[in-house]
Amino acid sequence: MTEAAVPRASFGRTFWTNAIFAPRTTLGFMRIDFVLGTIFVIPLTQMVFFTFVVQLSGGANTSVDGLTQLQFTALGNAVATVTYSSVFSVCQTTDSEKQQGTMEHILVSPASRLALYFGRGLIPILISLATVSVGLAYAFLLFGVPVSASALPALAVSVVLTAFAMVGFGLLLGGVALYLRTSIILGNIFLFAGLLLSGVNFPLSALPGPLQYAGYALPLTWGLAAIRAAVLGQGLGSLGVLWAAVAAAAAISFGSAIALWEVFERRALATGSIARF
Amino acid sequence: MSGLARDGPAIETRQLYRRFDSRKGFLFREMTRTEALKGVDLVVERGAIFGLLGPNGAGKTTLTKILSTLLLPTSGTALVLGHDVTRETDWLRPRMGLVLGGERGLYNRISGRENLRYFADLYGVPIAGRDARIREVLERVGLTDAADRRVEEYSRGMKQKLHIARGILHRPEILFLDEPTIGLDPKSARETRKLIRSLVTDGVTIFLTTHYMFEAEELCPRLAILSKGRIVARDTVDALRALVGGDRTLEAEAYGFDDREVDAVRALPGVSKVVTEEFGPMMRLTLRVRTGELTLDQVRGRLPGHAELAVRERRTSLEDVYLDLVEEEAR
Amino acid sequence: MEAFEASRRRSTSASLRLALLQFVADPQWLIPSMIAPVIFGLVSFELFRGYGPYFLTYAILGAGMMSMWGQTLYGSGWATGQDRVFGTLEPTMQAPTPYLYVVLGRVIWNVLSGLLGGLIVYVVVVGAAGGPPALPDPVAFVVLFLFVMLTLAAVGVVFAAFYVYTRYAGFIQNIGEFAFYVGTGCMFPVVLLPFWTNPIALFFPPTWALDALRYASIPGYVGFSWGFWPDLAGAVATTAAYLALAGSIFHRVERHVLEVGNLADY
Repeated sequence: MTEAAVPRASFGRTFWTNAIFAPRTTLGFMRIDFVLGTIFVIPLTQMVFFTFVVQLSGGANTSVDGLTQLQFTALGNAVATVTYSSVFSVCQTTDSEKQQGTMEHILVSPASRLALYFGRGLIPILISLATVSVGLAYAFLLFGVPVSASALPALAVSVVLTAFAMVGFGLLLGGVALYLRTSIILGNIFLFAGLLLSGVNFPLSALPGPLQYAGYALPLTWGLAAIRAAVLGQGLGSLGVLWAAVAAAAAISFGSAIALWEVFERRALATGSIARF
Repeated sequence: MSGLARDGPAIETRQLYRRFDSRKGFLFREMTRTEALKGVDLVVERGAIFGLLGPNGAGKTTLTKILSTLLLPTSGTALVLGHDVTRETDWLRPRMGLVLGGERGLYNRISGRENLRYFADLYGVPIAGRDARIREVLERVGLTDAADRRVEEYSRGMKQKLHIARGILHRPEILFLDEPTIGLDPKSARETRKLIRSLVTDGVTIFLTTHYMFEAEELCPRLAILSKGRIVARDTVDALRALVGGDRTLEAEAYGFDDREVDAVRALPGVSKVVTEEFGPMMRLTLRVRTGELTLDQVRGRLPGHAELAVRERRTSLEDVYLDLVEEEAR
Repeated sequence: MEAFEASRRRSTSASLRLALLQFVADPQWLIPSMIAPVIFGLVSFELFRGYGPYFLTYAILGAGMMSMWGQTLYGSGWATGQDRVFGTLEPTMQAPTPYLYVVLGRVIWNVLSGLLGGLIVYVVVVGAAGGPPALPDPVAFVVLFLFVMLTLAAVGVVFAAFYVYTRYAGFIQNIGEFAFYVGTGCMFPVVLLPFWTNPIALFFPPTWALDALRYASIPGYVGFSWGFWPDLAGAVATTAAYLALAGSIFHRVERHVLEVGNLADY
């Protein structure tokens, strides 16, 4: 067969096939009721939980970064729940491929890795957008977080950038799963780590120095800061810096994901860990 | 009386039905119904290998799972060793072994020996003799050298052997083997068949599903053919040959035969069935013959004018029987 | 031919041993098992900081419960989910011992790892505070803490049945994780919740046990108005009910999955 006659999937086709098909291979995406549960139930219960803790501790009305502690916590958890639909779900897709024995077939295909991994991020990005939006609606309607109409455009930009950054981070961890038996472990770690290190429940300044630096390495920290700044109606000057930081976190995450997938793909092929779960 | 052993056949099913319902969709739930078994009546005698043949999707695994207490029938009854598979599982499970095979079904992160030890404990293999029994079955399936390696490092054939080792570990009276040689290389498959034969000499009844005809012919004195959820035939291999028209099969090949010639061959004494098939420019007539009197020359005599005519004889194979019966059922 | 007689106790110990072997073969779960309690401990410490003289006890109990929830309760069901993934659920269910006794072995393992999580929480919170909490009766605290763990284990046994029932159990449990934290009052007394939620919370043995533990270790604590001993009695009664029902629940679940035929799904 001549070179020209060898069939090759285009970038766009690989992207769309992975965008639509890959999520359906994972249990968490297979059922619409679970997707709806992720979007509507998890943010509400997580917000209720931490705001009750704040109420018990007696500091609900303490002022924190321009919000009351209760509003601060509600808003932080509204955004933090994006970790389920981005990091956790994307890791799960990789694990599921390994368990079903389909990862080897994907890796042996000539499909563009860039299209493949970016495609896999599309549905999680959409679900992440929905999750943060619903979380913010709860924060506004149930927890008294002040969101003015004029803040909505800036808020939308912050939310979109955060969703991209978080899914990129999920892809990054998913790449490590090629080498590890499972990436859900990493998903779990970062699910918890976000609660502590990203300023979800209290400002980063409350943490000891080294932990603060760890927090700055997480995309959620920057995304949350941008969303809080937008809610508080801060000007484009300070918002722009935060947006740039979130965009950089997204770019670094996606870029590192692609690089890591290549590294771990080679490593996994060398060690045979692709077939282990 | 469920605590007592009962005489009678090893397996007896009456009008066994199994239906699977699956739903998809969220707002508009769409239900798909599959009838895997449609009234299976089957009797399997004790102390031999019984083969269940059938194409993919015929219901072989469904029947095996029902008989081994892993699935309930939708209706009908199934007795194994005289005990009901739906109500007397406590009595039955220690006495039956199940080998579903494949890449899954084993704890991949631990060794083959540890897998066997775990199941030996679940089955109550006496502690005093447990390790010796594990060594014995490992030796029997040829895994002694690999016993302490992680299962994830095993080849497919080794995993299959470990599945079988687990199935016989607790000395079952009846062993269900679902496609035991599927995916194995010829040498491993031959070793597995040898192992299966040796189990019968221990008095174990073996219920084996396969779609390898030569395997069934080699191992199973009696067998049944399952097609689309129904048993379409059940007997010895020889009796099944008779069922499809005879022990002898004659084949005539040339560049095309006309209808008159086919009718002339069909009218020969002892010919019970003629199947025509084309392959490329050639045509083949396959004749099932009941009597031993019909000669090749008689066939040639009915097909004059074909310089390239080739006529040969062979014994009707189980594959011929199988294809005839399954195709007949499909029609 | 006389069949071997399977023993429930032996099946449970075999299952415990298998859990240990699998852990040794793949110890990477140790990482989240150790990191999660550290994070929960620090978050809890920070949230409760300054809340009265007994805030450290609140912080330890809250973070300890969250940590043990993951390791003891979720872990017990998750192991059954892994049986589905490995394809070992079918051969294990086909063995003569009821699956419940296999689950018990795993629950014991998860209780042990949950205790490790509880210990890590204690060390982290004490380390962050620079000293131990003021406990009126440290022995009672430890004993009752172990008792809370047992009540969680009882719930874990029943939750594992859910994993046999459906391959979706893990996702449903994930979605319900924080609802469970809220409902059981692991960080705050359930009396803070709307009244209509209280009866739901009382179906959970850990709610009673934790309330009893708070009564015993936080002077002036106001939880359920009926006090320590009724709380303890409630915890014992609900735990006993869970364990008594476990056999029947597993039996029904087993019948269900044999009817549906979904044991091989994952």
